Amino acid sequence: MSDEYIVEMRHITKRFPGIVANDDISLGIKKGEIFVLLGENGAGKSTLMSMLFGMYEPDEGEIYVRGKKEHISSPNYATRLNIGMVHQHFKLVQNYTIAENIILGIEPKVRLGGILPVVDIKGSNKRIAELSARYGLEVDPTQKIEDVNVSTQQRVEILKMLYREAEILIFDEPTAVLTPQEIDFLLQIIRNLRDGGKTIILITHKLEEIKQVADRCAILNRGRLIDVLDVPSTSTQTMANLMVGREVDLTVEKNPANFGPEVLKVSHLTVKNADHFPVVKDVSFSVRGGEVFAIAGVSGNGQTEIADAIAGMLEAEEGSITLSGQDITHATVREREEAGVAYIPEDRQSVGLILDFDLADNLGLKNYYRAPFCNRGILNRAEFLRYGKELIDRYDIRSGQGVQTVVRSMSGGNQQKAIIAREIDQDCALMIFVQPTRGLDIGAIENIHRQILAERDKGRAVLLISLELDEIMALADTIGVIYNGELLKTAPADSLTTNEVGQFMMGVKQHEG
Amino acid sequence: MKVNPLKRGFLFLMGDEKRQRISIPLFAIVLSLLAGSVVLLILGKNPLVAFTSFLQGSGLLPKASYAGKKSMLTDFMSLVNAWTPMLFASLSVAVAFKSGLFNIGVSGQMLLSGLVATVTVGYSDLPAVVAKPLVVIIGMAVGAAVAALIGFLKHKWNINEVVSAIMLNYIFRYAGSFVIKYYLADPVSRQSKAINASARLSLMDTPVGDLKMEIPLGIVLALVAVVLVQFLFQKMRLGFEFRAIGANPKAARYVGINVGRNLVVTMALSGALAGLAGVTYYLGYYGSIQPDVLISTGFDAIAVSLLGNSNPIGIIFSSFLITVIDKGSTYMSSTVGVRQEISSLITGLILLFAACGAFFSYLINRSRQRARDALAQSTSAQGKGEQA
Repeated sequence: MSDEYIVEMRHITKRFPGIVANDDISLGIKKGEIFVLLGENGAGKSTLMSMLFGMYEPDEGEIYVRGKKEHISSPNYATRLNIGMVHQHFKLVQNYTIAENIILGIEPKVRLGGILPVVDIKGSNKRIAELSARYGLEVDPTQKIEDVNVSTQQRVEILKMLYREAEILIFDEPTAVLTPQEIDFLLQIIRNLRDGGKTIILITHKLEEIKQVADRCAILNRGRLIDVLDVPSTSTQTMANLMVGREVDLTVEKNPANFGPEVLKVSHLTVKNADHFPVVKDVSFSVRGGEVFAIAGVSGNGQTEIADAIAGMLEAEEGSITLSGQDITHATVREREEAGVAYIPEDRQSVGLILDFDLADNLGLKNYYRAPFCNRGILNRAEFLRYGKELIDRYDIRSGQGVQTVVRSMSGGNQQKAIIAREIDQDCALMIFVQPTRGLDIGAIENIHRQILAERDKGRAVLLISLELDEIMALADTIGVIYNGELLKTAPADSLTTNEVGQFMMGVKQHEG
Repeated sequence: MKVNPLKRGFLFLMGDEKRQRISIPLFAIVLSLLAGSVVLLILGKNPLVAFTSFLQGSGLLPKASYAGKKSMLTDFMSLVNAWTPMLFASLSVAVAFKSGLFNIGVSGQMLLSGLVATVTVGYSDLPAVVAKPLVVIIGMAVGAAVAALIGFLKHKWNINEVVSAIMLNYIFRYAGSFVIKYYLADPVSRQSKAINASARLSLMDTPVGDLKMEIPLGIVLALVAVVLVQFLFQKMRLGFEFRAIGANPKAARYVGINVGRNLVVTMALSGALAGLAGVTYYLGYYGSIQPDVLISTGFDAIAVSLLGNSNPIGIIFSSFLITVIDKGSTYMSSTVGVRQEISSLITGLILLFAACGAFFSYLINRSRQRARDALAQSTSAQGKGEQA
């Protein structure tokens, strides 16, 4: 059996405090195939692959690589076994060139004047240019990472693996940060790599991509291996059902829109970042009650800054922001909250939550300062617990020890559920959602999409900022496309196709009218 | 897989993460006493005698003989007198810690508070009932003002609080020395002239029965401060905001907490406690100010606070212990015949091991997890065996 598989994992179990991340998982990966790990958030996909890459060690079970039992104690050891991994968050040095990033740690040296050892950067540049040409991964080795876009950075990560002669390539959610066009390109690269004899392991929960490239697919649910499927002969619907363990609805039911009066009005907004560089330029739009206004755009084009400016986290350099007729351009964060702004931030762990506080404290974060949570400066812990329990029940937030669970130990999906529960329950006229489903599984995405539409149907104004075009197309009533800090196009959602929006996102179509 | 019974017992003793908050500092103390014993044994002294004499010297165990009008009680009261400033200083550090700030300027704040109180009230003829409260108020106000300035610099211009606090420490040390040497110096002691008894926060040589003892009034205030700080962090909105900022300043800002204002308030509070440490030291325990030195209390307090998990109740114990070792060292030196500095060595070791607490905790939790896994494995194997 071992001969057939290049990687074999037998009876792998990994526990973290309070949860079993992987429960007796056995699977084999064949040489030269594209093997996908599919599963909900917290299903244990990343944990399983982290063990193959030596970042964790399994509590039980064995890993065989090329038929030999291996004790993979560190990423360095994994690299020696020709295993490489592209992480969800790139691990690159921003002010180093592409070539420098790739050779970092295994720098080729030449001796200057026959004595002084120096890094052979010229030779590296040449070798990397060759390597990138061979696999169709175009990069300019002399460019600095900070000057290139996300898609290029990802290519650098892939080149880093190839430079280290990786044979087994692990991709952790590689498409999460890419535009549709870039995704197609990446999938083509992955196919090329397979055809070049590499073994690919893909961690994802995007069924469409799996259908396009994968040979086989392992489905994980709550740490257990559900099944290993042959992808070409399995329907997307079957995979989705197995993944969440029940029937899911892949399309969102959307009631006809019923717009109310204008809630949010942003006019001529300009926002500068910490380096005094304008990242939002003269942006104007308005959102009515009962409307989902979605801002589409490639990551880093100023969309999060718009949200931060409305919520009061960033100062508006120019322009004004009005909420239900009230000027909030210079209001404090708390004044805006009380005026009716709820905000689900992009970075749930470092902004949306206090990870070392328990769930009750986190759910009460927006109300802690007022009655009944606080009377005359004294907190009422009982009210925190009661309110926390109520939200946990109503929004189905799952955690190890209920309201007393330290949030750090919860899964990403449940952390996000907690934030959304807290914000929705504020009963605000305006709800800002930034990347509300990033990194979540289908079950959780479905749940969040339904909640966003429910808020819209209640007559609230919803500002949705997302990098997922599918999400925007499914939910939006009105779409604004942002490129390089400017709102290039604003139009009703049904008048735009996915492709058109994609082109505006790349700045292809210029200003119209 | 067999777990070594010694190791198993140790893991059992250290307990879960909740209990480790107490067991790890205790472990650090035991470890440093063991290390201290080794040093004493090398010097050819009996460590048990040495440790007993620490306790005797600080009035926790009876000495063989006492001088006239002295007893175990007077020794103990004198210990409490020394303990008071250490308790305040450690609380000061802990308050800043909780908000994610590092008040390394406690010693400087103590000096300035002590100096200002000495100059304004220390030599005045005010009656005790007016002078003593005035000393306390001035101490708090000066400490709070200095630390608030540090907080303000951080809030306004993002100046690192450690840097500005260290700079201020130097300024106060040299400016203070100037004032003491030119205006307040006692020609004999070359320190500042002793303050009037009416302004002093510790009653010295007070006859009680047939004894003469020190009565540190500040300790009452210090214990009240412990309760108040505990209440602040456990129950009050302000304490919740401090903790939120300490745990995640970005999230604190996102939920609408005024982070900048809270920085200043936290530092002011920390400084007020440092000021109290200053007046209970210079106008209580010591009674005068030495020029050219910054006492180590404010720096030791950082480690004492760490040993007590920055928890007010924990700090009661950790500051008491450090004071016992410090205070008992004189007597230990005379009975055992080793240099008094051995006490500084043991204190240093305790603080060093306390700083390693997080590492111990990591090791222990890893071993506990492994032991649990092994247990789970063996019981599940057993279960299968029975079924078959």
